[in-house]
Amino acid sequence: MIRVATLFWLVLVSATGFAMFGVKYQVQALEDELGRTKRATTAEEHEIRVLDAEWAYLTRPEMLDAMNRRFLSLSPIATKQLHTTAADIPMRPVPPAPVEAAAMVAAAEPPPPPGASPNSPEGVPTLTAALIPVTATSEPPPTQSALRAMPALLERPASAPQLGKAAPVKAVAKPATPHRAKSLDDLIAQIMTSR
Amino acid sequence: MVAVQPFDDNPCRPRHFKPPPCAPVVPEGPARQALETCRSRLFLTSLLFACVFAAVALRIVEVVVLEGGSAQSHMPRFRIPAPPAPARADIVDRNGKLLATTLDTPSVYATPKQILDPADATRKLVKAFPSLKSGDVYAKLTSGKSFVYIKRRLTPREQYEVNQLGIPGVQFQHEERRVYPDGTLTAHVVGYTGIDNSGFAGIERGLDDTLKDRRDPLQLSLDLRIQYVLREELQRVIDDFTAKGAAGLIMDVNTGEVLAMVSLPDFDPNQPGASDPDHPALSFADRMFNRDTLGVYELGSIFKIFTVAMALDYGTSTLASTYDASHPINIGRFTIGDYHGKHRVLSVPEILMYSSNIGAAKMAMAAGGQKQREFLSRLGLLKTPKIEVAEIGSPHYPGKWRDVNVMTIAFGHGISVTPLSFASAAAALVNGGVLRQATLVRQPPGHAPQGQQVLSPKTSEQMRKLMRLVVEHGTGTMAAAPGYVVGGKTGTADKVSGRHYADRKLLSSFVGVFPINDPKYLVLTMVDEPHPNKQSHGYATAGWTVAPATSRTVQRIAPLLGVEPVDESSPEIQRALTVDSLQGKKIEAY
Repeated sequence: MIRVATLFWLVLVSATGFAMFGVKYQVQALEDELGRTKRATTAEEHEIRVLDAEWAYLTRPEMLDAMNRRFLSLSPIATKQLHTTAADIPMRPVPPAPVEAAAMVAAAEPPPPPGASPNSPEGVPTLTAALIPVTATSEPPPTQSALRAMPALLERPASAPQLGKAAPVKAVAKPATPHRAKSLDDLIAQIMTSR
Repeated sequence: MVAVQPFDDNPCRPRHFKPPPCAPVVPEGPARQALETCRSRLFLTSLLFACVFAAVALRIVEVVVLEGGSAQSHMPRFRIPAPPAPARADIVDRNGKLLATTLDTPSVYATPKQILDPADATRKLVKAFPSLKSGDVYAKLTSGKSFVYIKRRLTPREQYEVNQLGIPGVQFQHEERRVYPDGTLTAHVVGYTGIDNSGFAGIERGLDDTLKDRRDPLQLSLDLRIQYVLREELQRVIDDFTAKGAAGLIMDVNTGEVLAMVSLPDFDPNQPGASDPDHPALSFADRMFNRDTLGVYELGSIFKIFTVAMALDYGTSTLASTYDASHPINIGRFTIGDYHGKHRVLSVPEILMYSSNIGAAKMAMAAGGQKQREFLSRLGLLKTPKIEVAEIGSPHYPGKWRDVNVMTIAFGHGISVTPLSFASAAAALVNGGVLRQATLVRQPPGHAPQGQQVLSPKTSEQMRKLMRLVVEHGTGTMAAAPGYVVGGKTGTADKVSGRHYADRKLLSSFVGVFPINDPKYLVLTMVDEPHPNKQSHGYATAGWTVAPATSRTVQRIAPLLGVEPVDESSPEIQRALTVDSLQGKKIEAY
């Protein structure tokens, strides 16, 4: 005779069993995933270390200095370039009347005065002149030819003949010492061969 | 379960009728005995089961509730490989720039038994590593062994390429290698490690245990940018004056932190054994030698700052005292003369300004040997300095402090100290009189390590004024850096060779402090055996070699260190730096 209670317990036992196995497999799957993720994290960490080292290698002061001489020609900040108090900073020159406003005024007034044309060549240059910061470096700014040569410089070695004319670039063209490794990979390869 | 009911044996009982409950009839005799035994056994068994289940239940509560699910799985299948900890902590500079790191440089090996197609695998591997010979690789892959190395220590890119090949049976073995991205720049400070990644030199050796134990990077007080500037300027001095070597260090006078420490010639910590392609003649030992911490030198006239400070601190001289420097001193077989002779009576500021040996010797004699020795000892110049690098030199000084020693030590001969000890002592001289131990490990911002008051703040203030005077009017005028109020002292020493002083072999040095009205940084530079050149008008003294280098260095590093330039002629600075005893007098140009 199968009583209700017995049936109830049977169902409960099998339900518990199934639930138990279900949870077990779920945990197993999660643990597997955790292991995979941890391994992946370790691999990523290793890669980050390599990239950090590569970044440090490529941004070492020696390299930045060479790059600066080749592309930027920035020089150290001179004392006279530094203003330490607000009082030292010169006041902004009073800008000329905005060009658009001048144009509107010109359009509104039926007889335009001859000097206030919107494309007046006097207005624009003064504005740009005020915007260009006064460079205090002793070296002249890169000439137009040097600026045009820049994209070519990125592709060609520094000793490309047509660059010889550009004055700031010329100073740089110290040939890179051949024994210096070009990348971290080369550096490590060098280390390995040396031992 | 359907139990057999022995007493309900009425065959005529209707199915729905149940007899009323009554106490079970227990048979008498041996049957009853057996039943009792059975019951007690059942009871014991159920008790046992109850205990076991209770234990399981408690354990579950413990694992899930009390430990919060942190219990480890005991099944090996689920054991997660712990990420391999980096064998050694990284070293970074004060701005977090990497100076030394440990990279995984795996070796690639093959299990020939698992390789399905050796010819194809050989072709692929040789394509990935052009340095390998296909004959060798094929022989290895068909050897039938269970383990053969294909190539040791791959670079990250090579590892990536091998992974891309995806040859079954080709695997990696992990190995670690220390890499120094900045190469020679910090060679002497950071040092290098050996094949098993244990420290061999510098910080790597001095703090070997710390580096092995910790995981987060070790932050040094070094600033890579300043280190670069100092190294470049020192290299320039070496090139300009065809010198044998140079050393320099930059120190924060208020904390003792060393911001830059350069010793030239140097080496590449990535390949410490390799010879320098630019200077193949330089010996290994010479390049490894740290002139800042291991080398001890008779530094010459820059020692006069200690003589003057001693005389002022003990009160045996005042700024107005005068000493006759018109005639050389003869003592024993020595003659003490002046290099920059004025041949007249000099006041204390003038002795320092014109660097008079005679004057300094007389000042020291006035104070006496015991006071001199005690003062130098208080400044830590008579004991081995302490710093985190492994290479440290002990000072040399006479065991018996005779009169001749007093005189020569007054101008920096007859006592050899490391530039590091000198810098610490000189920092104490200008920072208000507090001696702090030099350190290469970054101190928390705003925290100055505990120091020791070694001289009075008043003497320190007087020393600042005198050192400014040297740069303004004395031997160190070329060290001036407009806006940064440099003060300092030049020193040109004759080098000892054997038992004599070698003529024309000089050791020129300069100690500079800026801004001297509120000292922040000390720059000590030293050049070994400089030779005169045309630009220096035949001089190789400190005023012509390292003083200009100090000026250039200060002008380049001051903006990086956030030191604001000031107007040197402004009344407050003039007031702060005027020596009272000289006021109103005409200062004779050096």
